[in-house]
Amino acid sequence: MFRLASAFALTAFVAAAPAMAEEGANADAPNAAEVAFFESKIRPVLVKHCYECHSAEAGVAEGGLRLDDRSAIRAGGTRGPAVIPGRPEAGLLLTAIAHADRDLAMPPDQPQLPKEVIADFRRWIERGAHDPRDGAATVASDRETLLAQAKNFWAYRRPVASPPPAVADETWPRDDVDRFVLARLTEQGLAPSPDASPETLVRRLHFDLIGLPPSPEAIDSFLAEASAKGIDAAIAAEADRLLASPAFGERWGRHWLDVARFGESSGKEANIPFPYAWRYRDYVIDSVADDVPYDRFLTEQIAGDLLPYESNRERARLLVATGFLAVGTKNLSESNETQFHADLVDEQIDSLSRALIGSSIACARCHDHKFDPFSMKDYYALAGVFESSKTYFGTFVSPASQQGGELIRLPRLDDEVALHPSVTAKRYAEMKEQLAALEAERAEMDEAQKEFLAGRKPKKEFTLTDALRNIWQTGPLVGKLQTIDEQGRAVPVAMGVLDDPAPTESPLFARGEIARPGDPVPRGYPEALRFDSAPPIPQDASGRLQLAQWLTHPEHPLTARVFVNRVWSHLFGEGLVRTVDDFGRTGEGPSHPELLDTLAVDFAKEGQSLKRLVRRLVLTRTYRQASIFDGNAFHADPDNRFLWRMPKRRLEAEAIRDAMLAVSGELDLDRPQGSLVAKKVLDKPISLIGLDKALPEDLDGSTTRSVYLPVIRDRLPDVLELFDFAEPALVTGKRDTTNVPVQALYLMNSPFVRQRAEAFARRLAKAANNREARIELAFRLSLGRLPEPHEIERASAYLASASDADAAESSTADSVAVDEEGWNRFCQALLSTAEFRQLD
Amino acid sequence: MSPFHDDSLRPSRRAALKSLASGFGYLAFAALAQRPTTGIASPAGGPLAAKETHFPARAKRVIFLCMNGGPSHVDLFDYKPKLNDAEGRRTADSPLKGNAALMPSPFRFARHGQSGQWISELMPELAKQADDLCFVKSMHTDLPNHAQAFLQMHTGSFQFTRPSLGSWSLYGLGSANQNLPGFVTINPPTDNGGARNYGNAFLPAVYQATKIGANQTPGFYAAILGVDQEPGPPLRNVDNEWMTKQEQRRQLDFLRDLDSLKLERDERNPEVEGAIESFELAFRMQDELPALLDLSGESQTTLDDYGIGPDLPTARFGRQCLLARRLAESGVRFIEITAPGSWDHHFQIDSALKSSCQATDLPVAALLRDLKQRGMLEETLVIWAGEFGRTPYAQSGTGRDHNNKGYTLWMAGGGVRGGLSYGSTDELGYQAVENPVHIHDWHATILHLLGFDHERLTFEYAGRDYRLTDVHGRVVTDLVA
Repeated sequence: MFRLASAFALTAFVAAAPAMAEEGANADAPNAAEVAFFESKIRPVLVKHCYECHSAEAGVAEGGLRLDDRSAIRAGGTRGPAVIPGRPEAGLLLTAIAHADRDLAMPPDQPQLPKEVIADFRRWIERGAHDPRDGAATVASDRETLLAQAKNFWAYRRPVASPPPAVADETWPRDDVDRFVLARLTEQGLAPSPDASPETLVRRLHFDLIGLPPSPEAIDSFLAEASAKGIDAAIAAEADRLLASPAFGERWGRHWLDVARFGESSGKEANIPFPYAWRYRDYVIDSVADDVPYDRFLTEQIAGDLLPYESNRERARLLVATGFLAVGTKNLSESNETQFHADLVDEQIDSLSRALIGSSIACARCHDHKFDPFSMKDYYALAGVFESSKTYFGTFVSPASQQGGELIRLPRLDDEVALHPSVTAKRYAEMKEQLAALEAERAEMDEAQKEFLAGRKPKKEFTLTDALRNIWQTGPLVGKLQTIDEQGRAVPVAMGVLDDPAPTESPLFARGEIARPGDPVPRGYPEALRFDSAPPIPQDASGRLQLAQWLTHPEHPLTARVFVNRVWSHLFGEGLVRTVDDFGRTGEGPSHPELLDTLAVDFAKEGQSLKRLVRRLVLTRTYRQASIFDGNAFHADPDNRFLWRMPKRRLEAEAIRDAMLAVSGELDLDRPQGSLVAKKVLDKPISLIGLDKALPEDLDGSTTRSVYLPVIRDRLPDVLELFDFAEPALVTGKRDTTNVPVQALYLMNSPFVRQRAEAFARRLAKAANNREARIELAFRLSLGRLPEPHEIERASAYLASASDADAAESSTADSVAVDEEGWNRFCQALLSTAEFRQLD
Repeated sequence: MSPFHDDSLRPSRRAALKSLASGFGYLAFAALAQRPTTGIASPAGGPLAAKETHFPARAKRVIFLCMNGGPSHVDLFDYKPKLNDAEGRRTADSPLKGNAALMPSPFRFARHGQSGQWISELMPELAKQADDLCFVKSMHTDLPNHAQAFLQMHTGSFQFTRPSLGSWSLYGLGSANQNLPGFVTINPPTDNGGARNYGNAFLPAVYQATKIGANQTPGFYAAILGVDQEPGPPLRNVDNEWMTKQEQRRQLDFLRDLDSLKLERDERNPEVEGAIESFELAFRMQDELPALLDLSGESQTTLDDYGIGPDLPTARFGRQCLLARRLAESGVRFIEITAPGSWDHHFQIDSALKSSCQATDLPVAALLRDLKQRGMLEETLVIWAGEFGRTPYAQSGTGRDHNNKGYTLWMAGGGVRGGLSYGSTDELGYQAVENPVHIHDWHATILHLLGFDHERLTFEYAGRDYRLTDVHGRVVTDLVA
């Protein structure tokens, strides 16, 4: 379009005469040359450089100013008219692009527009600012409008339960959930799929609830119960058994750890280990297993340090809970401390808001949010809360890390665990002495520097090398001393957050730049999400406790909705809102709004129990559907938004690995103490762990559950890395599912899979002594079903030819005794099938 | 081939093909059903199938020679006579004018080729290719810190996890050899953002680089500890010590039959279809890739050309350059290789810079010559770049500090104008003054050469259309031949 306009300009502009008179509001025949000038010289510049922040299309009008139609550009924003035809200096547009006013230099943070462009604008305004753009577009041109719109946005209104709709087929529903789903299906001319087979259901239940395959015994007893008492009773009983298992905590705790962007190293370029992060991981797993009510669970993680407690054990647990705010990525190579802390607070705001309320409030650090009603003021009001708290992340200054942190010492317990090494009391005393000496030397250096700067010759001279040596020797000593007592014994320490004694307000930093602090912003909640009964933030506290109370308040429109949607998505493959981490304007709306709201209201009413919610959902008829294909339904609803079937789902990395170990009979269900990071990596920079021969190359080498594998940022264990583990730097409500050849290479060639196959084969050999029985057992163990006749034949034939030697005499296949190696290969193939990694 | 010929035992083969065919129909349908906000629709044939570009491409592939650490432009390509004499240093048109610490370049410069490009004596081999080189002498980036600048060079952003240049390229182009990964990085550094520099971020994982070369030890530590920077095998899990190839083929035939039976029962199951494809490519890959990575069949002449031989300072980078050529020839779309050691010359620039050049000059020149001889240079964009340049003033007396305000990179082949020197820094080489080119502009230009409008090569993530250049970037059309 611009190209056409500029070609037009070339032919028409030459003849143009200055037109000083302002065009009429309905100027239907504006001077063609002026229009051409506008189209070729002005509009493209506005589109390219200004519309991003000042247009209806972008949904944003910074400073109340829109530049995308004639009346808007003339009306201007909060500072006044942008363009006054004929008077270039009188409107603000030219001032801004000519950088005549430092505070109004546009476009922001970019070099000034070329001189010719500025001259074009001057000429355009002088000639009357001809502008053919009749504004059809509308946008909230001020915050009030944006906030008013927000009040009507579905996600910012309080959820309200709806009575379940009437359905034609009363025999289908088991729960009100089913009525909502069935009514919607019927409305769309669709019907639910038939129930899945009991074999499919028991496998689905086991993986969904505890992340492990059902054993053949569990399958048998489920089938027996289903035929004796009916499928409803069988599912209920099985669900109860699984919900009571500690494995439920491991499975669903991991779901939360995805959202909590849990990681055991700082990430970013320095990437220093967090050897105490595992305590937070265990806290999450235990809390989920104990079914701590969700509102309480959140409050503990945001403000556990501020909650009352009755025992040391409880206090320790509550302190560890605040690890949620401490385990995020840290830019430890940032040398500017103010910048480092601003980034740390930003990470906390970002993770908290995405994880709990599906909102990207951190976008407002540098500019008012472009789509959602969050302003910079909202952002810095929250920043004040976190700036009034101190984060204990516990890495120390070293050549690899510019920033040191502290650790929280946990109250002492009889059965406490501290996995880091102790030292002797003598060594402790030496370390204290060394530290004192280093500190004394540091004082001398400071003194020398003062003298030097004052132009005097220092008593003692130091080189840069001396200073670095001092800093780098001090860091590890300070770090170590934090983790031992006066006898040199390791004491339990944790990452977390405590209130700062002197709460502060954060200044509003212009464009998020720490060098440009503005007025302080009182601590508080985002304006669009305020309600009258939200607790006020006291002057003498950080406000974290109130923040938690506000988030978990029954009137908060987002918290419960976002959570029940996350739970739904883990059980049904997609959320009712598919953008599980984004409930803002850029997210998708819910497929079943009344259902989502009703679930959220019921969840709050019924004690915010995750287990109760999961139980309710897996007992629905909706959950019980088969995952079969139906051409008509598929064409009507390819994404299955109306839930006409259960989707097929790829298992997560952990479930794939755990299932291999379970099938091979090697899975160790006990929780290991700590993690590899706590026990072996400790303080070593992550980039060096490749050199450590004591560490397994795939960072695995265990037979415990995958949730206990080390979660090292940018250096995950192979199996997690390959099978789409949640990126531990980001809040991840929904993982990717990829299907890439490196996964196949892992299944084909890795020692881990080979070892599982060998153990699986040994297990078969022990349990059954004829070929067919072994094949049957292998299928039941790995796929939860009996093989079909074709499969038995194919498997037998394969076993007879697995080795080159066998293949050479394939005509006598049946008579050849299958050797051990053949079974190994057969077992590996079963573990590599797509079906093994998929839930029907 | 499988030893099974009995069709009753193998209903799967035909059925699988049939299912696969309809499966691809599913993919095409899914692509159509998507909201039309993604810039490039996934065509039939999967996300790696070759795709249409926005307009005819000049380059079909990229070889990125990554000069980790920040090479000193004022000692290599950006000749500043005023830096070299006291009078010039006092009067130069530069904010640094009169700065006492200004350090002349210890190296001699001369003009080379018909184009008369200035190149210092440290790159005698590259100088012979001067007429193929397109210098951008007015580069600038946002921050003078390695980590941020390195990430910005690779992903456009240092604040956020964003897809890398190579991932965007592969996302746009698709793969040209279905037996190989489309994006390969050899020995990437583990620091400065590590895997993020070649990661897919929110793009589908198929677009991430296949990393060749084991986990490395950063040069800093390797030097202190006296260990090799690149221990271990280049790609994990390609060898199978338990089975012969034939045995593995039979095992995979069995596996494919089981998967096909599942597919047949389910009628449609894209995950199973994908798995079948994936195992087949993996099987082919483990044949082709190790062979490609094995240089033992190369002639002595070739090895000599690239400077590969025991104890030669060029051996390591020579090997990487030769690998890059082999991968490019085999259809890999984006190949990144990283120079050994680092160009971070804070100290003793006269000797240290010399040895960095010694390790790389010959191999790089050999690569250009080799590509040219094979007729590949025209459609292969070769990029030589570090994350920033270095200051004209001295640091610790003998070295230079980081400089993000102005530096030099070069490109060759792939539709760029050889023999061009574009833009300039001030008279001391401190700050880009004429035709400054930002990282975003450079990215926009690379995508342009690959046939893409950088504003239209987008991917929707969390409700927003993202692009490599964010909201910035302009194509520097003067660089395009």
